[in-house]
Formats: sequence, C-alpha cells, structure tokens
Amino acid sequence: MIEDNPIWRLKYLPKSLSDIYGRKPLISQLKEFIKSKNFPHLLFIGSEGIGKTTIARIFSKEFLGNYFNVNFKLVYADVPLTQEERTKAKSEAYVSTSKIGSMAGKRITTPAFIQVKIKPFVQLKVLGDIPFKILIVKNFETLGSNQQGFRRLMEIYGSNCRMILLTTKISGIIDPIISRCQLFLIPQLKYNKFENLIIKISEQESLELDKEVIKSIYRISEGKISKAIDLLQISSLMGNKIDTNVLFESSKKFKIEEMNKIVLTSFKGDFKKTRELFRNVLSNYKYNANQFYQKILEVIIKLPLSRYEKCKLINIIGDADFRALDGRDSDIQISSLISKFNTFGEMM
Amino acid sequence: MAKKKIYDIPWVEKYRPKSIKDMAIPTAKLNRHKVSLVEELPKFINNFFNQKEMINKKNQEIRTFNRNCLEKEKKKKIELPQEKAAILLEGQPGIGKTSIVYALANDLNMEVIETNASDTRTRDALESKLKETAKSKGIMDFISETKKKIILIDEVDGIYGTKDRGAVPTIIDLSKNTQFPIILCANEYKLNLQSLYNSIPRYEVNPLSKDEVYKIINRILKKENVENIIQEDLELIINKNEGDLRGILNDLQALSQISNESPDERKKIIMSLHRDTTKEIFSIVRDLFQSVNTLNEARTLTNKSDVDYNFLYKWINENLPTFIQNKEDLSTAFEYLSIADEIFGRIKKNMQWSLLPYFYDLFAGGVALTRKGNISKGYRTVNFPRYSTSSSFSLNTAEKSLIEKIQEKYPISQSEIFRDFLPFLKIITESSRRNLKNLSDWLDLNAKEKNLLKKTQTSKK
Repeated sequence: MIEDNPIWRLKYLPKSLSDIYGRKPLISQLKEFIKSKNFPHLLFIGSEGIGKTTIARIFSKEFLGNYFNVNFKLVYADVPLTQEERTKAKSEAYVSTSKIGSMAGKRITTPAFIQVKIKPFVQLKVLGDIPFKILIVKNFETLGSNQQGFRRLMEIYGSNCRMILLTTKISGIIDPIISRCQLFLIPQLKYNKFENLIIKISEQESLELDKEVIKSIYRISEGKISKAIDLLQISSLMGNKIDTNVLFESSKKFKIEEMNKIVLTSFKGDFKKTRELFRNVLSNYKYNANQFYQKILEVIIKLPLSRYEKCKLINIIGDADFRALDGRDSDIQISSLISKFNTFGEMM
Repeated sequence: MAKKKIYDIPWVEKYRPKSIKDMAIPTAKLNRHKVSLVEELPKFINNFFNQKEMINKKNQEIRTFNRNCLEKEKKKKIELPQEKAAILLEGQPGIGKTSIVYALANDLNMEVIETNASDTRTRDALESKLKETAKSKGIMDFISETKKKIILIDEVDGIYGTKDRGAVPTIIDLSKNTQFPIILCANEYKLNLQSLYNSIPRYEVNPLSKDEVYKIINRILKKENVENIIQEDLELIINKNEGDLRGILNDLQALSQISNESPDERKKIIMSLHRDTTKEIFSIVRDLFQSVNTLNEARTLTNKSDVDYNFLYKWINENLPTFIQNKEDLSTAFEYLSIADEIFGRIKKNMQWSLLPYFYDLFAGGVALTRKGNISKGYRTVNFPRYSTSSSFSLNTAEKSLIEKIQEKYPISQSEIFRDFLPFLKIITESSRRNLKNLSDWLDLNAKEKNLLKKTQTSKK
C-alpha cells in the first residue's frame, strides 16, 4: 500500500502516535489519556497545516482501538449544509402531533448544523467496549453563533461522547466553550526537528539536498510539514538533485498566480478583464468573498508600494469585506473593490 | 405629477379579449410571406391534435406488436415532427402575442399552461412543470373528457445564463414527445436560441396598425364613459407607444383619471406616463443609463416596471462597465451599488422593509446618475447577468465523485481539496502523462473525473 501511494504527503502520514515527530510533551500527555482510558473535552489550537487533525485522528484511532469506525466522526464546521440536509433539518425540527408528550406538535429550534451533523452522532449510544465516542470538529471558530448550541451538548452528552475541537484562532471561540475544554497549543515545528524529518524523507526517496535547501523549504512552507512535503515532491519531478534554483521554480508553481494577475490588471484599469479573471478564480477554487479578500490582502502586502498606499488599499479591502458580511451578492462587492483599485491605479 | 385616484381594474385585464373574434389580430409573416394568424393558429392546434391522435394509435399498435416479438423485429415509436408540435411567435411587447393565445384557448375551450421569465427555467424546473403535463394525460382524462391544454412558454428570449441552464434543450426535447401543442413567445431574435429557430416555424408578428388601435381605443373609451381625452392627446399617446397596445391602454387609463389640466400640463403628464408602461428589462437597463436625467425619472422607471428588483440590480451590476467607461464614475457607481446590496442584505436578514426606498434609489438612480461626463450614446448590447453567487459552492457530479474518491484516501474537507490539494495534484499531473495515469489509477478515476484533473489544468494556463 505504501509503495504505490503516489502522493508523498499521504505516504509519510504518521500511522501511530509514536510516529508523530517532534511533539513529545503533547504525545506523552495523549498517551497518558489512552492509558487511563479517560480524557476531558480537548481544544487544539495551532496554525493551518500544522497537523492538528492528523494528531487528533491518530489519537482517537488508538484510543478507540477496534471500535474506531463506528464511534468516530469528523465534522467540518466550514462546509455549508446541502439542500437535502437543510430540508432534513427542517422536517426533523417538527415533532409530529401523533407523538405523545408535551413536545407534540411543537417546533424544536436547534440550529440546522447541529441538528443534522452533530446530534445524531452524539445521541447514539456507545458501541463496543470503550468508555465513550469521539467527535472531532474541524475549524470550530467558523461555526459562529452555532457555538452556543455546543455548550449544552458538551454537558448533556459529555459522558457519552467526548469532543476534540480544532481551531486556528482561539479568539473566535466563545469563553464558555474554552472553559469546558482542556487546551493544547500546538506550535510550529522547531527548525532542527523539521530538518531531521526532511532529511529522513529525502533519504527514503533518494533525493540529494543540502542544508541550505532545507532552510529555504522551511522558509517557504512556513514550517508546515504537509506543504513542505508537497514542495519536495514537486521539486523531485525535475530530478533527484534539488538545489535552491529548482526549489524556487517549483515553489513558484504553488502560488496562485491568478491572484497577482487580478491585482495587477485591476491597477492597470482594465475592469472587464479583471472581472472575468476573478470570476474564474472564484469558481475554480470555490472561495467565498471573505477568503477572496484575504488572498487579495496577501498580494497587496507583498507589493512594492509605500506604507501610505498600502494602508489605503487595506482600508479599501477591509471596507469591502465588511460590506460583504451583510451584502447579498458577493459579485457586486468584489466588483466594487476592483473598480476602486482601478481608480487607485490611476493615481499612482 | 398630478394626484392619482384609486385605480380600478387595469383596463388591460378588463378588456383582454375573451374571443379571437372580437380581437384585433396583428398581421404576421412566416418565411417572409404574409399569413393570417386567425387561420394559422387554429389550424396548427387542430392539426396537432388530429395527428397526435393518429400517432398515439399507431404507437399503441407498435407497443402491442413489440411486446410479442423478437428483439430484432421491434419497431420504433413514431414521433410527431417538431415543426408540427411547436411554433414561435416573435414581436415587440404589448402587441397581443400572449392575448391571442389566451383568446384562442378560450374559443377552443382549452386550458393554458404558462411559464414566463419570472420563473426560473432550469432544466429541472421546466421538466417538473411542463414535462409531466406535456407527456401524460391526467387521471381524469380516462374518466371524462377534460379540457385540452396549450403550453405557452412566454418570453423565451429571457432564457439565458447559468440560471436557466439546459432550458433550450429541454424545450426541444419537450416538443418531440409532447401531448399538447406548444406556443413560444419572444421579443427579440437571439443567437443562443438558434437551435430552436431551426426546428420550429417562426411567425413574425407585426404591431397593430394605427386604425385598428383607434378602433379598439374608441370602443373602450365609450364603454368607460371617458370624454375628457381630446383627439390630440390620443394621437400623442398612440405615437409614443409605437403599437404597444398594452402601453396605450395603461396610459389612457391613467390619463382618464386626471381632469381639468391645461393642455401643456397634459402633454407633460403624457410624456411622463410613457415611462410607466411595463417594459422589458433590456430597455429598462438601456434607459436607465442613457435617457434618465433626474432621480425622479429613475424612480418611475424602476417602480413601474414589472421586473423584480431582486433581479434588476443584478442586471445593473452586470452592465455597469458597458455603459460607464470613466473609471472615476465607475467606481462611485459601484460604491453606490455595493451599499445598495448591503442595505438589501440587511432588509432580508432583519426583515426591515422600511429600508427599501434607499435600496431602490441607490441601485437605480444613484448608480445611473453618478456620471459626471456625457451620456454614453449609441446602441450597446445589454448582457444577462452571468454569475450567480449562490452557485459558487455547488459542484457538478464529476467534481462530487472526485471529491468523494479523494476523501476516501485522504480525509480532508471539500474546501481544502479545492484550495490546497487539487492545485497540487494538477501540478503533478502537468509534469507527465505517467503521473496522471498513476494518480488516476490510485484514485480509481473514470474518464470524466480524470478530465477534471486535466481540463482545469489547461484553463489555468
């Protein structure tokens, strides 16, 4: 299985807790949990692509053992509900009048997300010889007001199901949730650990690279292992020997060039072309308005502009993003941003 | 504007012809030959039902024959040729295309099933609404003789864009196996409807002649006991509306409720009434940018149009850059439009309908009147809004199954796949064919999904 896996990122995915590299204090704590067969609700905090999900999955796998498949669920908080799920939530929220009890004929007002994705799993009894089930919620901070619904869930069904919440921004999580969890900060991998890991992989794949290259990989991937491995694999397409030039070439492919193009054409004042470009990007990468603005922001910050100009641009983007929160049509909001960039380009 | 008295029933509805006999029939052309719609339409409908009956009988025979024979000898079902199942009426608004269909149906004691541009006409929507009626007969048909039906697809030229995807093929499909005659109506000749034009006869309907308009109007004015409209005004109204009978009637009704104004004032009122007529969206957008001069005019234009504002402001969004070229003006226009959008979002979110006037004035008047420079003159094509935000996260079936297959091997979320993983896979497949093969073998992809990895790759370049 490992041999014919064409994607290194998966090939080198750790298979057990002891495989996880360079996170000793965390791992030993998790191993303690497994030994004592008990743990509180957990909250993992760390930046994107750092391995939170991988660690949480492997931990649950080892904790649940043979009963992993039925007692484990991973939920993405940022994936919108489909139409089917929404109608299902609506129909489930109504208690039929034929049922007996005080709830008959009434509406239960649970948020659709919790009603469809969380409740069915949490309410089900544990199957097998384990103390409780495990639910992982990814990108918990994107839940917004739905977080309130979790407060009671965590208490009522806590004995039946423990939750591991993953987040990139702790400030996006309401206090009552934080107080119910044990926090784990997952920092960026230290450089020497990162270096060892890369060397290990490059030995297995018989790649040649020196320390200078590893340093650049660390810089480009911002310490994220999955991204670093992707970068290695793409560089290896050009040959087994990897130097900084090859690395630079392949890292260029990684960046979304379209974003740069959008900003530059908009500065040139070509509105129609820019509109076409950004519509393409939106449909290709499935960004929502907010994510699109973030990407634009990243590009702006790296542009060679004066501080004054950059601040002005950031102000424009922030304003547009703020409006998109309430707006109905993100196409209008983005078009408005682009048209402002057009006039801005003229002033420069 | 003078005070308006309470309207009674619109004359357009009140005097909508009940029968084809008391209707002024517009002249029409088929393949550049003059034809009479009074003869052609009933002929078409009768022909249709006669032939359909024959074909249904034959098909039944074929079906019984097919049941007891070998696979090889099976006969194909007979289909009615498309040109006998559907026709297209084309002409400017308000000349009686829809009315003639309704009047005819009334005469022949039939029911009309109508869809128009206000319905979304995706493949699914059309199918669910029309196909069932088109193919089948109701249960009651077996018990008693029920009304026959005519399918009227109004405003066909409004079909466009992602919102109505698949509508044209559905209509063509429909016309092949329909149980009822189909009549399509359209205002303009459209390229994207080419496939429709090829397969069905197209009647060009001309506006009514002045004499006929006079006749109708005089009859109605007499019935309504209106005497305060002088000949001069009448002429002005008729000339202004260019054969649009619906517009003329609306104008007259409004004018009949105003009394005792000086001739000059009346003239002004008539000219302002002009914009009150229901116009199609193209001319609204065009007028908004090219002929509106005051905020009030913009208001009357948007208020009195029967186009949904929900819809209109997306049209404005799409067409802003075609009409406003100056960058400064464009950016202020978009500024207003984006605020209007924000206001609209708040209205919908908190049900604060009291904010609606601001939305109206901002998106129409505010946007159209921002230009400081000259009006962009000359004919410009108005585009349909092509982009709908709600569908930005909707996936087609190939994408869906690709995602499922990836998630089986590697549990990451949809958004991560699109933003992070898929671009990476594309870089790998880009480098060599062998990699693509390896990857598709590993994920067990079919040709369509494999194409997805490749196709986006070419569009990236």
